[in-house]
Amino acid sequence: MSSGLTSRQEFEFLTDLVLKHSSGDDTVMSLWDSIGGTTRFANNQVIQNVNARRVTLTVTVAFGRRRGTANTTELTAGAVQDALKRAERIARVSPEDPEYLPSLPLQTYLAVPSWRAETSSAGPARRLADARRMIEMCQGEGLNAAGIVATSDGIAALSTSQGLRAYEPRTEARFSVTVMDGDASASASNTHRSCDQLGVEERTRLAIGKVKRAGSPKPLAAGRYTVVLEPSAVAGLLSWIIWLLDAKSYEKGTSPFSGKLGQPLIDPRLNLHNLPLHPDLLGTSFDSDGVPSRESWWIQDGVLRQLAYDRFTAHTKAVPPISLPEAPCLSGDGIGDDLIATTERGILVSNFWYLRVVNHTDLTLTGMTRDGTFLIEDGKVAGAVHNFRFHESPLRAFSNLDECTHPAEAVTAETGKMLVPAMRIRDFQFSSVTCF
Amino acid sequence: MGQPNWDELAEVALARVRAAGAEYGDIRIVESRTETVRGEDRRLAEVRDSRDGGFGVRVLYHGAWGFAASAIRSLEEVPRVAELAVEIARGSASLTRDPVRLAEEPVHRDVVMTARIVDPFAVPLEQKAAMLMETMESLHRQSGIARSRAQLWTRQDVKLFVSTEGSRIHFDLLAVQGELEATAVHDGRFASRSYNTPHLRTGYELINQANLVAEAPRVAAEAVEKVKAPAVQAGTYDLVLDPEHLSLTIHESCGHPSELDRALGYEANYAGTSFLTTDKLGTFRYGSPHVTLVADNTEPETLAATGYDDDGVACQCWDIVREGLFVGYCTNREVAPKIGDRRSRGSNRADSWGSVPIVRIANVGLLPGRASLDDLLADVRRGIYIEGHGSYSIDQRRYNFQFGGDAFWLIEHGKRIHMLRDVVYHDITPEFWNRCDGVANERFRRRYGFITCGKGQPGQSGWMTHAASPARFRSVSVIRGSGDKTP
Repeated sequence: MSSGLTSRQEFEFLTDLVLKHSSGDDTVMSLWDSIGGTTRFANNQVIQNVNARRVTLTVTVAFGRRRGTANTTELTAGAVQDALKRAERIARVSPEDPEYLPSLPLQTYLAVPSWRAETSSAGPARRLADARRMIEMCQGEGLNAAGIVATSDGIAALSTSQGLRAYEPRTEARFSVTVMDGDASASASNTHRSCDQLGVEERTRLAIGKVKRAGSPKPLAAGRYTVVLEPSAVAGLLSWIIWLLDAKSYEKGTSPFSGKLGQPLIDPRLNLHNLPLHPDLLGTSFDSDGVPSRESWWIQDGVLRQLAYDRFTAHTKAVPPISLPEAPCLSGDGIGDDLIATTERGILVSNFWYLRVVNHTDLTLTGMTRDGTFLIEDGKVAGAVHNFRFHESPLRAFSNLDECTHPAEAVTAETGKMLVPAMRIRDFQFSSVTCF
Repeated sequence: MGQPNWDELAEVALARVRAAGAEYGDIRIVESRTETVRGEDRRLAEVRDSRDGGFGVRVLYHGAWGFAASAIRSLEEVPRVAELAVEIARGSASLTRDPVRLAEEPVHRDVVMTARIVDPFAVPLEQKAAMLMETMESLHRQSGIARSRAQLWTRQDVKLFVSTEGSRIHFDLLAVQGELEATAVHDGRFASRSYNTPHLRTGYELINQANLVAEAPRVAAEAVEKVKAPAVQAGTYDLVLDPEHLSLTIHESCGHPSELDRALGYEANYAGTSFLTTDKLGTFRYGSPHVTLVADNTEPETLAATGYDDDGVACQCWDIVREGLFVGYCTNREVAPKIGDRRSRGSNRADSWGSVPIVRIANVGLLPGRASLDDLLADVRRGIYIEGHGSYSIDQRRYNFQFGGDAFWLIEHGKRIHMLRDVVYHDITPEFWNRCDGVANERFRRRYGFITCGKGQPGQSGWMTHAASPARFRSVSVIRGSGDKTP
């Protein structure tokens, strides 16, 4: 952990400061403390280079079922006690919350590999070096690069008057690059606990290779196509399934999954796990309520097996609380190694962009293809095509699975890190075409 | 709020920046207070009083930027962070091909304060809680409502901006908003209808005037009507769009493309670029002659009317599109000279002390026309009237978009007939704005805005207001947003 971040001993001191002075029946204190920065480049030069130390201490106090929350970004004794007093003041005048539950007692957590020394010590110089390498690689090929390198070191901590003490150091490194050649673009990205595991050079080289094949894109008519989705594109679709798996909406009939627990949801070859201990995923030991993360099956053989239960909904359903998967892995039978070679005619989609829900009942999404869309003919990439807009539900798309690869690391500008396969999908609906 | 030693902290920081030989530096010291009172399903799910304070130092050294920030406002931390900003800028300078040259701006010494009649933080929490609970109860009195939501939001930003050029500006800015939503379930489907005030820089009088409780029965009834409404038949329709709906259409298809940093490629890796490239300035036919889009950061109560931006540039009013012709960009001091402008338009903003300012959309609004709303509707044989925000998506150059809405009514022979559901329209931006053949007059003008406009890496939330009167667009392609039934 970086020197300067709140240590475990300092966290204990802050806990004592809050809990001993609290007049509430129940008190929760959480702390986020981080140091991190981002080097950003465009047009083959640095355009932005930032570093920030951020800290937030939050106190929630309950009197009976009345709750109040206040926070501060100052860790002085005066500021922390002021936050406590403000939370108490709110709690005293708030109406009773029928969903109130006392805070958690001491929990047992997984030993998640959430912190790496090399990322903790990576400062502006390391970020600049990675940015320089990407710029040089692209410039050397006569290409235009835009991207970021970011690292952060932080701690997440939580304590309750019921005895819970949770403290976890977390590092995160991230890079992304968009390589452009006139109208053509390709991108690469990764996120990892270790800045040494990002694969910056290797992934940038792949993007350079792709952009060279993406020139002179031709417009193709919208319609239903067989598509080969690279892992980043699959991640974009899967994210919307994951984000909407909450049990409260399910129980109230306002979820696209309502009535489908235990029912077939997608192709029976597909399984969705949460793997907090996986070294390439961003698992955490506990969520914001202190609920332990655990390895769990969410979709098994295509059947929906698990929902995310907040503590109140879990209590009413007599099941353990569980948060949405923070370290998801979607896997299939993984028999297809080269999905392009076995595709007679289809569209290769590198990535999706600006995905939004159009119809919440059946989870129809819209979005655009981005950074490399190609026509496949006779098992080969025949050339680049203009980007499409799609209107499609990931539930339908993942039910129309033809073949998939083994899971690979994927992260996009709009999703978290996950392991997902590339997929070939039948009858994917592109609804319109754009101008490039 | 406020720290007695902010001036001292600023002087310490800028002394270090000057001593390092930087050509420019500034510091923003900010303390923000946000109160959120959020109701959900007949309960107050969250009552939160958030404070967020810190400072950020920005340095321009040999034409390259460095920025460092910290939540710790002490006489030990400030010089350390200022020196870190200089060190970062020195590193940036080693990877700079085109050094930054800032557009000129007069030195400003000023105090900016949001006008308010009722201090929202002085309104008793019990009163706010009771109002939200009553609102949700009213929503649930309508048969068919499964879920409810009601929320009040208040934000105050106290800020000091000081630059090495001598500008020193104190801010005390306020913004408030209130909203409610009902979700109805019917026949295996669900649909929501909402009502909200705009986010505006006023006091609590905005919430009092909006009267959320009184609006609740209508919103609940329309949620039920919406979920039971027939799905739209795909096809070509004339659209009449209400001001709140247009605020999003303007934001996505005009606001973002008019950000000059996008046009210059700064956002190519994330938010995207712009089809409004610099060669089109002054020559490109963006829309029909009915379309004049004005950026006005001087209109009182609007979100971007902050007196000065985070470059210390005074807020201004200018045209983006004049009678259909593309004529202006949103700029900051860095990018304005790249199109030959001597002065920035004052659109450089950071979302907190810990973020570096970037070009943001101004208060871009559609200039009113001469028609009444009835005039616009009367001339529609087969069309759809759309209110509010729904699903939205646009490509990374801002050409191909699709928008839903919060509520839709079928128009036949000039009359609103009944509600529809699952309406989605899509188009190419300049083709769409060239379909505009009428804008309602000033009497129908309304202001709506956003506080969640995502841009930048690390991501930041931008704030701006988009005013409009209802407008009519001919022959727009509409599809049914329900998966396998489309189009």
